[in-house]
Amino acid sequence: MLAAFTKKDLIGAVIAVAVLAVAPLVVKSNYLVGVLTVAVIYGLWAASWDFMSGLTGRENFGYALFIGAGAYTAGFLDTAFLANPWWGLPAGVVAAVAFSLLLGFPTLRLKGPYFALAMLSGAAILQRLMLIFWEKTGGEEGLYGIRPLLNSQLGFYYLVLGVTLISVLVLVLLARSPWGLILRAIRGDEASCQAAGINVTFYKIASLAISAAFGGLGGALYAHYQLQVSPQLFSIVTTITVIIMVYVGGMGSIYGAVGGAVLLTLLTELLRDFGEWRLLIYSLILILILFFLPGGLIAPVWRRLRGMAR
Amino acid sequence: MSALLEVQGLTKRFGGLTAVKDVSLSLDKGEIVGILGPNGAGKTTLFNLLTGFIPPDTGSVVFDGESIRALPPFRIVKRGLARTFQLCRPFKGMSVQENVIVGCLGAGQHANAAAAVRALELLAMVGLEHKALMPSELLPYGDLRRLEIARALATNPKLLLLDEPFAGLGTAEIEPLSGLIRELHREQGLTILIIEHKLREFMKLVLRVIAMDFGEVIAQGAPDAIVRDPRVIEAYIGRDEAHAVA
Repeated sequence: MLAAFTKKDLIGAVIAVAVLAVAPLVVKSNYLVGVLTVAVIYGLWAASWDFMSGLTGRENFGYALFIGAGAYTAGFLDTAFLANPWWGLPAGVVAAVAFSLLLGFPTLRLKGPYFALAMLSGAAILQRLMLIFWEKTGGEEGLYGIRPLLNSQLGFYYLVLGVTLISVLVLVLLARSPWGLILRAIRGDEASCQAAGINVTFYKIASLAISAAFGGLGGALYAHYQLQVSPQLFSIVTTITVIIMVYVGGMGSIYGAVGGAVLLTLLTELLRDFGEWRLLIYSLILILILFFLPGGLIAPVWRRLRGMAR
Repeated sequence: MSALLEVQGLTKRFGGLTAVKDVSLSLDKGEIVGILGPNGAGKTTLFNLLTGFIPPDTGSVVFDGESIRALPPFRIVKRGLARTFQLCRPFKGMSVQENVIVGCLGAGQHANAAAAVRALELLAMVGLEHKALMPSELLPYGDLRRLEIARALATNPKLLLLDEPFAGLGTAEIEPLSGLIRELHREQGLTILIIEHKLREFMKLVLRVIAMDFGEVIAQGAPDAIVRDPRVIEAYIGRDEAHAVA
């Protein structure tokens, strides 16, 4: 199984995970643990967005739908049904996958930007529904009083890190398998894929469902971290944040997306000192990265490092 | 010999235009047949109907004893009917070998290693093995044609449809490609149906010609008989005169 990776890839991954795992032990601060938890959850989202959209080239602008579905499902189970909070994780996955199939069948046949717009509308509709059914969903305020999964904040961070590590490993292995090759071929030319005997619709819907599964899993984890969920989760801002992380990481590499997520989350926090200038500086940095490195930052830099080390 | 492909009364209308009108034809196993006709005669539409890319309005398509009408393209490919496109459509961003591997996977091969070996064999067959690791978008046009053919062969076809394989090629490239197609027919025993304009090469290659005009089959026969057929001559040359008179 690990044969899909070079030795250098494995060393790089071990170092990256070790840094993330050791950082909160060196700098003992609850604030840092919180920031890293969010960063790693975003990493899971960015990686799973990249799996579907980066490989097949069908940009999903409604990805927040899966995040919100996972988060609200976990939240409902915990607050309304008082189920064991751990059930929120598998339930969040199931809910997100259900929505991906519901939207995927009619929309993935659409060409060009129509898929992106259809998914965007799907997320917007769900956000409105959360407000319309405010008596059940808590409206603008959302659901609160969600119980934590673990009592220790650091323990929860390690849970999130472990879940993300396994998820990203699965996604990278899939992307490097014949599956990934077929998804990249779909990006290249759909008609040629059909002429090569590939069931394009199946692969597109399955990859959307896989992407949704990890999005929902991350959403459920996020709900149990924030201890509340709000309709803002469904907003286009959430999706755009994830997409920018993937671009900065380098589209189609998956591991790069995780790097992009961690980098940008830390950057957001570092810039807090700049007060109201923060967004301006953040945006400027983003524009510079995307302008000078259209292929992204993390994955291209890693490929170069790997090429240099002999 | 038994019929590999049996088409009866195939018709496709696009609005007011009847692109393919009541076309019936039959292909025996091991044949190499050409479809001839001026631009807009409905040749490519006929290919799209046969391969499931466009659903027909009426008519039947029986391939290898079973109806393939209204099946999605990938299922038709799995039955053993593969095609190439008039404009080469490689998977951009993937190597030449990976392009062919996709065809192997489409044919139901699941192991990556086996598919990679098979892809190399096919590339050797079409003369591209030394370019296996090249990005496919860097191939010159003549090589892209060969790649298209290798990718189609990867699906293990019984019948190969070639849509204008010589289009856009120089005379120096036509001869060897024609040789490759002949080889696939003779040595691999592949049944081949070719659409083509370039008369000279084409006529040497195929054993039977189906001539089309305005969506209809106007004549069928041996190549040398077809070029002397008055209906075919009219379709190619006579139209200008008709315009001049009108």
